[in-house]
Amino acid sequence: MADKKVGKKDIAGLLEQWSQQFAVFAPSKESGVAAMAEWDGKDISFLDWYRNTVVPPKAIFLPPMEELFRFQKGKEGYNIEPPPKDKHKRLIFGVRPCDARAMAILDMTFEQALEDPYYLSRRKSAILVGLGCTNPCESCFCTSMGTSPTDQTNVDLMLIDIGDDFLIEEVTAKGKELIAKTSGLKGATKEDEAKAKQAKETAYNKVTRKLDTEGIKDRLLASFDDEEFWEKTAAKCISCGICTLLCPTCYCFDINDEMVKQEGTRFRSWDSCGFPNYTKMPMENPRQEKWRRVRQKVCHKYEFYPMTFNVIACTGCGRCIRLCPVNWDITQVIESVPARTEAKK
Amino acid sequence: MEQKLRQEAKALLEQNKVDWIIGFEPGSLKFTATPLITRDKNDTERLIINPFIVNNLADFLTGIKGRVGIVAKGCDSRSIISLIQDNKIVREDVVILAVPCPGLIDLVKIERLAGKDRDELDDISRDGDKVTVTVDGQKKEFAINQTLFDHCLACELPTPQEYDILLGEPGPPAPELEVSGQNIAKLKEALPAERWEFWQNEFSRCIRCYACRNACPACFCQRCFVEETEPQWVMPVPRWQDNLIFQIIRNIHVAGRCTDCGECERVCPVNIPLRSLAREMYGIVDELFSFKSGMDKEALPLMAHYEQEEAEDLFK
Ligand code: SF4
Ligand code: SF4
Ligand code: SF4
Ligand code: SF4
Ligand code: SF4
Repeated sequence: MADKKVGKKDIAGLLEQWSQQFAVFAPSKESGVAAMAEWDGKDISFLDWYRNTVVPPKAIFLPPMEELFRFQKGKEGYNIEPPPKDKHKRLIFGVRPCDARAMAILDMTFEQALEDPYYLSRRKSAILVGLGCTNPCESCFCTSMGTSPTDQTNVDLMLIDIGDDFLIEEVTAKGKELIAKTSGLKGATKEDEAKAKQAKETAYNKVTRKLDTEGIKDRLLASFDDEEFWEKTAAKCISCGICTLLCPTCYCFDINDEMVKQEGTRFRSWDSCGFPNYTKMPMENPRQEKWRRVRQKVCHKYEFYPMTFNVIACTGCGRCIRLCPVNWDITQVIESVPARTEAKK
Repeated sequence: MEQKLRQEAKALLEQNKVDWIIGFEPGSLKFTATPLITRDKNDTERLIINPFIVNNLADFLTGIKGRVGIVAKGCDSRSIISLIQDNKIVREDVVILAVPCPGLIDLVKIERLAGKDRDELDDISRDGDKVTVTVDGQKKEFAINQTLFDHCLACELPTPQEYDILLGEPGPPAPELEVSGQNIAKLKEALPAERWEFWQNEFSRCIRCYACRNACPACFCQRCFVEETEPQWVMPVPRWQDNLIFQIIRNIHVAGRCTDCGECERVCPVNIPLRSLAREMYGIVDELFSFKSGMDKEALPLMAHYEQEEAEDLFK
């Protein structure tokens, strides 16, 4: 079946139509920062941005904070009150390929490693509509990390900019089904498809930041005890949570109870291995020194995740480089990890 | 200026006058610089000075062991003095390499003026009172007071007063207090209820990354109240109420130490206008106690000492 296309000026109408069936999310700056937000029924200015959102789409599935349950202390122990069932069916519009890949990476933890009902209930019913990038940023390095500015692999539908229209690639059965029920779309011509092909190539070539990850797992393994290297690498880091909390593949969370009199709530909220308290225990903190925490962050993404799931937990979205207060650059760090022979000395 | 800096820094390491040099080197993105912290004299070749050396390097001093040669703009120097006032560092352990600072360029303002992302800009250059931005080969000119950080427009000390080596000629302070205080003035005009709503919205998006605290040289506590569990002053959960309380207590804790360096606001990834709070507190401290942090290394730290009379006043 031939691909469909949709006019750029018809996007608002399309989202309107999908709003009947889904809670539609799209990139927005309404809150004061670029993030995925429930679509307000009119704003499509994000079509003109080319920078990715500051807050990654993961925030919809693993929110910065959520209530896990409430509890009351009764005579016979605690009464647990689960949260209301999540009935929303979400459609996330305008997901960039790097973030879509990050969702697939998060699924490995929240579905394969263990089943997290909170994450999965939101994730399973959601549809991801990807938006191909036309102007990758200086910090983007997706093409080195297994994806590309127009990669359709991890979304249900993919939109490719072909001038006045977007070509719609139907990727999954879910995506196909949605398109079949959507009205007002036009059929794409051979010419449109050629344009899309051209657009993909152009965008691909605009990603100038490259990272060679060949053998990185082994290099990190060999450099694990290279304290001098890690101290140097960590020197300028100020141990904030930006690069982890806002990384689309980071998933660490903290659990806290809040209790007032006999009633309480259990919260889950984002946490970061960059914080000294993350590993604090009553007697000991195995990552008291900053360099150990920086090492953890790098190794988790580039060594441990590959060991467990055979994939690097970094998609090259560039957020950590762009948002870091000290411009600590993961690509420079990965490149500077000593090769096996050097590390052995 | 850069050549002199490199020579001096190298000499300091060579002559074993310092163990570390803290300065700036080119960043990995356009229009950025990044802190360089090194003991290697060869690294000093990479030191730079330009309108993008935004970090307050004094922040690194409390975390480093040994004597340090540090590149300091006016604001950095005030933070260094403030740390000396608080006895966090010893004057003899720092060699201040003073940079007379003409103000730093705020890329957020440039983006707004040029209507383009920083990635799309070819060049930003400054000549005296004009800043020229080149986009697609086209040049656009802006007045300097439109392009500098707010805290730079309020700068009272562009050239460090306290230094060991002065790099270049001191320039005059160019305060544009009115421009720099626009956001705060607007907030002060608003009704309390509106202000409350404003901050509620702002702090709703705080993700508790603590970059504001960690980038702040005045936030030097080894155990921050926010991490205390007994008692638990605020929940570690990013609810707007807890976020706001966190920031208010932080502001109270740095009162008399804050030098209005603007780092808290610059580093916040979700654009919360934190300097409005910090600057207001700075003004209140000055009004109540005629005290400005980081101006005089002999001055006693405002919040860490008291006068006899104050005590009598308090306990009568
Ligand atoms: S990293 Fe690639 S996919 Fe992600 S925003 Fe940049 S160009 Fe797009
Ligand atoms: S964002 Fe930068 S300073 Fe903050 S923890 Fe990450 S690397 Fe360190
Ligand atoms: S490590 Fe950095 S570049 Fe990689 S996915 Fe995370 S934020 Fe993006
Ligand atoms: S509170 Fe903000 S402005 Fe004041 S010293 Fe700290 S970082 Fe600088
Ligand atoms: S830097 Fe901003 S987001 Fe981070 S803790 Fe401070 S106010 Fe919150």
